[in-house]
Amino acid sequence: MTFWDTLLYDLFPLIWSGMITGCLYALGALGLVMIFKCSKVVNFSHGNVAGLTAFLVYGLSSGVLLSLSWGAAVIVALLCAVAIAFLIYAIISPLVFESDLTSTIATLGFGLIAQGVTLLLFGADIVALDLPIPRFAFSVFGLLVTGYDLTVLAVAVVTIGALFIVIDYTKLGIAFRAISENPFAAEVCGLNLRSVHLFAWVTAAILGVIGALLIVPTTFLSVTTVATFMLQAFAAAVIGGFASLPGSLVGGILIGVLMNLFTFYVSPEFSSTFLLGIILLALNIFPNGVLQRVGGSRV
Amino acid sequence: MSNLLEVRNLTVSYGTGAPAVDSISFSVAEGAVVALLGANGAGKSSTMKAICGVIPASGEVDFAGSPITGDPARRRVAKGIVYVPEGREIVGDLTVRENLVLGGYQKSAAERRQRMDMVLDLFPEIAEKANRSAWRLSGGEQQMLAIGRGLVADPKLLLLDEPSLGLAPLLVRRVFDRLAVIRKESNLAIVLVEQNLAVTMRLCDELHFLRGGRIVGHRSAEALRDKTARQEAIDAFLGAAAA
Repeated sequence: MTFWDTLLYDLFPLIWSGMITGCLYALGALGLVMIFKCSKVVNFSHGNVAGLTAFLVYGLSSGVLLSLSWGAAVIVALLCAVAIAFLIYAIISPLVFESDLTSTIATLGFGLIAQGVTLLLFGADIVALDLPIPRFAFSVFGLLVTGYDLTVLAVAVVTIGALFIVIDYTKLGIAFRAISENPFAAEVCGLNLRSVHLFAWVTAAILGVIGALLIVPTTFLSVTTVATFMLQAFAAAVIGGFASLPGSLVGGILIGVLMNLFTFYVSPEFSSTFLLGIILLALNIFPNGVLQRVGGSRV
Repeated sequence: MSNLLEVRNLTVSYGTGAPAVDSISFSVAEGAVVALLGANGAGKSSTMKAICGVIPASGEVDFAGSPITGDPARRRVAKGIVYVPEGREIVGDLTVRENLVLGGYQKSAAERRQRMDMVLDLFPEIAEKANRSAWRLSGGEQQMLAIGRGLVADPKLLLLDEPSLGLAPLLVRRVFDRLAVIRKESNLAIVLVEQNLAVTMRLCDELHFLRGGRIVGHRSAEALRDKTARQEAIDAFLGAAAA
């Protein structure tokens, strides 16, 4: 096998599929970072809540709970995710203003509750969730591009693009950025901090559901599938410095590509070890994220 | 003139020690400028924060004839009490324009745009840099932005906390000149916290002297026009801290 063959048949496909999976990690990471940026809480319930809502789509569309159409099941699951995010924030919001650490630990509890509810409603069995994703494939310069790849790419571009437009160009986005950087300044300007926190929590929940639903077709759905996926999203957020939305996007794609390359060229058994290694390395080399910006105050 | 702000027995405590503000009472008439003077730790900033509702306090605060004691900061902003904090507290990563949007967050889009245009006319130094990140502004420009951000909210009462802090004398004069213009052109009442008596005298009608969280003296600006009277007030109420 020549060098060019290796590039064409191994490396490029691995990088491409890593980028596709990385887009999903980025969706998960963006949710974690949005919550952390404005309310300073690391939301450890993110994966389990997204997992519960993915199971809800399964339950509502497969006849286990109801026999809704796929689209209706997704809408109901999204509404449930929003309601759960609302409920979690409503319960922990007094803690958010008292102690970041206590509220972060509280999210661990909500994660366990979400996992318990999933087990209670759907059991511990592995299930298949078939989403109506176009099943076609074509080759571009030897690179196999599937309908799944293009669906993920389109959904990620639209979702992340819409999010960045809201954050960069709307009054709500200005409020979000202000509270993330200087909550005191935001408060004296008359902003309702809880409303803006809630916007972040609800948006994160929606991003989590989208990520969870799109990762499931590549694997299966079990009570731990989405939580494990969110571990990679967590690593992506760390690479982005846990406070940068563009950094999370870059981090997600980096994690997707690096994990693919490691799994193929080194060992799939040690992929979790590799992931933890990346987190440690990123924390040491880029403690403020790969897109760390030189800035600050002149006075 | 009727009183716009009435503060009665306001007390602020941090932890279990002596209160930072100890049962102080004063009032501000519509369109008046009242200064709170005192050394570091006298309780000036805590008084301002308690009036604007960002820290808990006991006592009573009435604004425009209605009690606002239990209102959160955002409701007080909606009623017309706007705080410009010490150290400017602008949002550095937002542009100048975005900081002004933040100031008028509760206003309708049209009203906010109109107020922003007024502020940018008043402070041409920051108008030239409207699309620049706020952290890139100089100290004086940041102070103008902080005051401008407060003015976009269309306040009835502006709480100005040490606007001269860290600024060169020329910039202090420029900032106070603009405040004098604002005062002349609108019926805006101001509570001004300062350590610098000379700059305070240029603007205010009444002065309250604070020490150890209490108001220890009160003079009208008119009574302090005379240099000897001013020195006597400093010696009596501010002591060595003002020297």
